[in-house]
Amino acid sequence: MEVFLAQLINGLALGSIYVLLVTGFNLMILVARIIQFAYPQFVVLSMYACWEVLRLTNNVFLAVFACISTSIVLNILSEPIFRRITNMKGIDINASFVASLGIAIVITDIMSHSLNYGFPIAFPTSWVEGSLARFGLIMISKGQLYALAGSIIAVLLFFYLLYRTKQGRLFRAIAENRFAARLIGIPIVKTSIFSYFIAGLLGGFIAILLSLLLGSASPWLGEFVALKILAVSIVAGLGNLRGGLVCGLCLGVTEAMAMGYLSGSWSNVVSFVIMLIIILIKPQGLFGTSIS
Amino acid sequence: MPTVLSYFLGFTAIYILMCWAIYLPYRVGQLYFTTVACMAIVAYFSGFAAREWGWPFIFVLLVGIAIGAIIAYILSHAIGKAPCFTVVIVGLAFIFIVKTVIENWELLGGTVGFFGIPPVNNLLLIAYILLGIVGFVIYQIDHSRLGRAASVVFVDRDAAASLGVNIKSLGMFYQTIAGAIGGMAGVLYTFLLGSLSPEFFAFAMVGSLVCMLFVGGYTTMWGVIVSAPILGGIPILLPVTISSWRQVIYGILLVLIILVRPEGLITKRMLWNLKGKNRYKTASNLVNTRREKVG
Repeated sequence: MEVFLAQLINGLALGSIYVLLVTGFNLMILVARIIQFAYPQFVVLSMYACWEVLRLTNNVFLAVFACISTSIVLNILSEPIFRRITNMKGIDINASFVASLGIAIVITDIMSHSLNYGFPIAFPTSWVEGSLARFGLIMISKGQLYALAGSIIAVLLFFYLLYRTKQGRLFRAIAENRFAARLIGIPIVKTSIFSYFIAGLLGGFIAILLSLLLGSASPWLGEFVALKILAVSIVAGLGNLRGGLVCGLCLGVTEAMAMGYLSGSWSNVVSFVIMLIIILIKPQGLFGTSIS
Repeated sequence: MPTVLSYFLGFTAIYILMCWAIYLPYRVGQLYFTTVACMAIVAYFSGFAAREWGWPFIFVLLVGIAIGAIIAYILSHAIGKAPCFTVVIVGLAFIFIVKTVIENWELLGGTVGFFGIPPVNNLLLIAYILLGIVGFVIYQIDHSRLGRAASVVFVDRDAAASLGVNIKSLGMFYQTIAGAIGGMAGVLYTFLLGSLSPEFFAFAMVGSLVCMLFVGGYTTMWGVIVSAPILGGIPILLPVTISSWRQVIYGILLVLIILVRPEGLITKRMLWNLKGKNRYKTASNLVNTRREKVG
């Protein structure tokens, strides 16, 4: 029972980070009409930036700033590439996936070649150290609780932005019907660029939460997370924000449970097998998709 | 023949086969990576069968192709007409699962790898004969009713369905063929290298194949024949200090080609111009003429 409780909290923390990632990913699908497969890679690269600044200056605020600004800059920089692709005639959303796959490959390989000589990075543990509760071998660390609280706040803020502000209404209008949105005078390009900015901000925040929760990062973390995020968003239905919320949490909890009760390397497979079965039974996703 | 050259030729053949295995389902708009998982399964199966059971090569080859086709056929019942990204994620998840199972299976050597597969005489010759046969079959498919139907499905699924194309069985057909080709490539890879490592069948492999397909051109089967030797083969000949950056080069090339020439280096239009036929039929033109006829 104690293992169950501890893993439940761990799973919720992990799941809420997945929710944030899926939300950022879905935002790009809905507003910018691209599949941003490299989004988790941007997050991991921001974690590297955070680590580097923390190592050089030992200043937490500077590190957080570096992390968020790296993520925003990366996302904004990728915007012209994707805008050019989506504006091409006769080219569908697959092309954006292939281009972002290329970006993802480049980032992963540069990280595994040059940054920290390709070794995984470990964040200093002093600011997340200390357990709040301990059940036998399993403990709930401060980092987990910070991550859980931070991601809940971020999810609430994001959904507030989307459903209660004017900017959010513009996003939803474009997602609903791009053509009609243009007709009634919504600035498509400007809103689209703003969606990249929001996705970047979210990405930077996710990077901080991930470094709190995991305490380390490796070059291959990005593609591993990207795989999960794409799978979750397909299971939920591409571009379905509420579906992503439910499925992201479910994935986190399932993974944590598998980690608690199964041996290490098999725990990751369990969630993939479950997702694969769901996808094979319902190829359109559990909650339906708006993307054709 | 020097070893490096034989590796170059062998890997070129395998890469061309694998690119064709991804090219075929992409004719109906599906990026089908399950074929890499089929390749991994068949590669380990054939290595095991040849080393432990002492099966002859030709028998391993036939059984391997059959296994690849059967896996793809079973999966295609579920994803025969699924949207592109569903097919993508089924492929990637399947690769991940297969890789983890291999890494944790002591019998298959785990992460260390699987060694001691007996060599085969004239493997390169067999590989290129098989390549020729597969190429001929794909050419025939492309120039048959199935190929034209696929071109229409790629452009407009609804139009294709209303013209009487059974999208699901078409997708199942292409996926099964792709699985069979993946199986064939798996057997060839096993006997070419003589050892297997789960690292090869990873995400990087998918990236390399997508790069070769899109740089070469996904609208015709000839594109990968140009791109696979350059992108897949030449890194084998280069020193390690340069070839270790191949993934970065693949990624940059992939982004550049999508931006500059989204249909790849060799396109259908180019081939038609080469042949000197001035009337270029795109799939959308076909749909339109068909629509005029119907209307």
